[in-house]
Amino acid sequence: MKKFLLAASVAGVALAGAAVELSAQTKPTIATVVKISGIPWFSRMEVGVKAFGSANPDVQASQSGPATADAAQQLKIIEDLTARRVNALAVVPMDPSVVEGALKRAMDRGIIVVTHEADNQRNTNADVEAFDNAAYGAALNERLAKCMGGQGKWTSFVGSLGSRTHIQWVDAGAANAKKYSGMTLVDEKNESFDDANKTYEKAKEILRKHPDIRGFQGSAGNDVLGIGRAIEEAGLQDKVCLVGTGLPNPSAQYLESGAIDAIGFWDPRDAGMAMNSVAKILLEKKPLADGMDLGVKGYEKVTVKKGPGQGQLIIGNAMVIADKATYKDHLF
Amino acid sequence: MSTLASAYTPSTTGHPVRQVLARRPELFTLMLLVALCAFVAAANPDFLRLATLFDLARASVVIGLFALGVFVILAAGGIDVSFTAIAALCMYGVTKGVVEFAPGLPLPVVFTLSIAIGLGLGLVNGFLVHHLRVPSLIVTIGTQYTFRGLLLTFIGTIWITTLPPQMDDFGKVALLTTTSSQGATIILPLFVLILPAVAVLTWWILRRTLLGRAIFAVGGSPAVAERLGYDLRSIHLFIFGYAGALAGLAGIIHACSNRQANPFDLVGSEIDVIAAVVLGGARITGGTGTVVGVVLGTLLVVVINNVLIMAGVPSTWQRVVVGAFILIAGAFMVNRRRA
Repeated sequence: MKKFLLAASVAGVALAGAAVELSAQTKPTIATVVKISGIPWFSRMEVGVKAFGSANPDVQASQSGPATADAAQQLKIIEDLTARRVNALAVVPMDPSVVEGALKRAMDRGIIVVTHEADNQRNTNADVEAFDNAAYGAALNERLAKCMGGQGKWTSFVGSLGSRTHIQWVDAGAANAKKYSGMTLVDEKNESFDDANKTYEKAKEILRKHPDIRGFQGSAGNDVLGIGRAIEEAGLQDKVCLVGTGLPNPSAQYLESGAIDAIGFWDPRDAGMAMNSVAKILLEKKPLADGMDLGVKGYEKVTVKKGPGQGQLIIGNAMVIADKATYKDHLF
Repeated sequence: MSTLASAYTPSTTGHPVRQVLARRPELFTLMLLVALCAFVAAANPDFLRLATLFDLARASVVIGLFALGVFVILAAGGIDVSFTAIAALCMYGVTKGVVEFAPGLPLPVVFTLSIAIGLGLGLVNGFLVHHLRVPSLIVTIGTQYTFRGLLLTFIGTIWITTLPPQMDDFGKVALLTTTSSQGATIILPLFVLILPAVAVLTWWILRRTLLGRAIFAVGGSPAVAERLGYDLRSIHLFIFGYAGALAGLAGIIHACSNRQANPFDLVGSEIDVIAAVVLGGARITGGTGTVVGVVLGTLLVVVINNVLIMAGVPSTWQRVVVGAFILIAGAFMVNRRRA
């Protein structure tokens, strides 16, 4: 009797194992893990992940993330997914250093790891970045210069002086502005702390100190909102140019009034699709080559180079610079 | 310790001046404020413009309302660090409620609602401080986390960037409007009047009512105050309730003036507010201080935060300058008292 029970349970386990194996073999799973679920940015990314899933019926794509911006909770989700033996993880780390260990364990178990917004991540097969930071900063500044007619004083805002990407953007912007002898950079790199009200107060102070200022270049998502309000209240929409990183929905009213001239961003929907696309390529054991097409808008001809770890760094050209006429194509 | 103080006030006239300063510490705050403004005006004469005054007045409202609330608690020997979480919860909760359920709700009702929620949360603080008999710093650190957690977990995390029209309009109503030489419109918003109104109310409560005497008595010595027959429970409930109500008011004004409701906003600005109250001459240990001092302390903090670009301080140095200024001013404040 005992033997029979044992045999039956062994058979049962084997059967269950076979079933899991079977489903895993027919349809590989790609799990996208975001910083926070429920905020507009990552809801937009989920649109991309779902679109990728329906366009590629041979894989199962899903997205999850913690309810609050908490690196520890994100770590837990990654560990859970690793234990459930997904085939690939596409992670947007809250803090790359916190998840290094978990991603290494996942890779040791044969799981493909793709990351995004983490060009310093060591334990990853590939990190996907939307664009080259210097190119983005220069593009924003070029748009500003066009609006200013290459003439007049301008200034720049950063989220904080410790924010590496923001500094890269405004430095590239300042380098670009040197092309125009009429453009003068004044009181650069004001810290906004990504707080619309602080940005507003600083922008007003700059308007008082330099009544003849003609341009602002923002970096953090809130910068254009605070500066835009200061410009709009002063009735200077037509005299002062404002270009910076911003999201279409929150910026809409200022784009309509003309206080913001253009916003720059990358579309998280496309980034989500690109990460999943890279994961699928790696699952199929195909190589990543410089100049290859990921089949996603803005990632048609990506730059592939060696990352900080053993993985690769993939850089797209997915920056979007939208103005009053075009922002409605990207509402999120 | 008197060496520092006497270095600051010449020794020949030191004694009478020091006596006046000891009696009226807010005079010292005023001197600092005037000195700071004179310094900035010397660095950049453009500082002396109406537009500067308008901007400073606007920037003082929210921090000033917070400071008056904290001052009332500080006067009674307590401290509160949860008021920014209360303000954020009121601001975001009420705005979200209005947007989703009652877009046409009249503005006075919106304000009353926000103040009422703030009052309620403040009373929770007061109740806990009185009944747990735990220092109010510990209680309010706890409630700050709790209130903020409740806001982000149950009310929402998504920014509201399009306010209901009645709130949006209120933020834009002008008390005075002028135009600069460059054609920029400069507005002094109507809501700046709320700060002087609340300051007068707070002064009246503290100086003209029995309750005010009770608050300072408790701040001086709770044991003595209790023996004198003051009811500690109702005083605790009043001071925290009042600070909570002011936080609710400040929150909704912040949303109207900012033209957006961001649930992650405000929390983190407690230190500026407490610095304003202390620089206004109130002792962190309670029992002293004046409303005039608090208003001057608020102006001092607002000015230091809003003139550094004007004075030409590069942005890498700005935090160093703010920190150094608060240290120096704070050190003078403490030494003045010991003298």
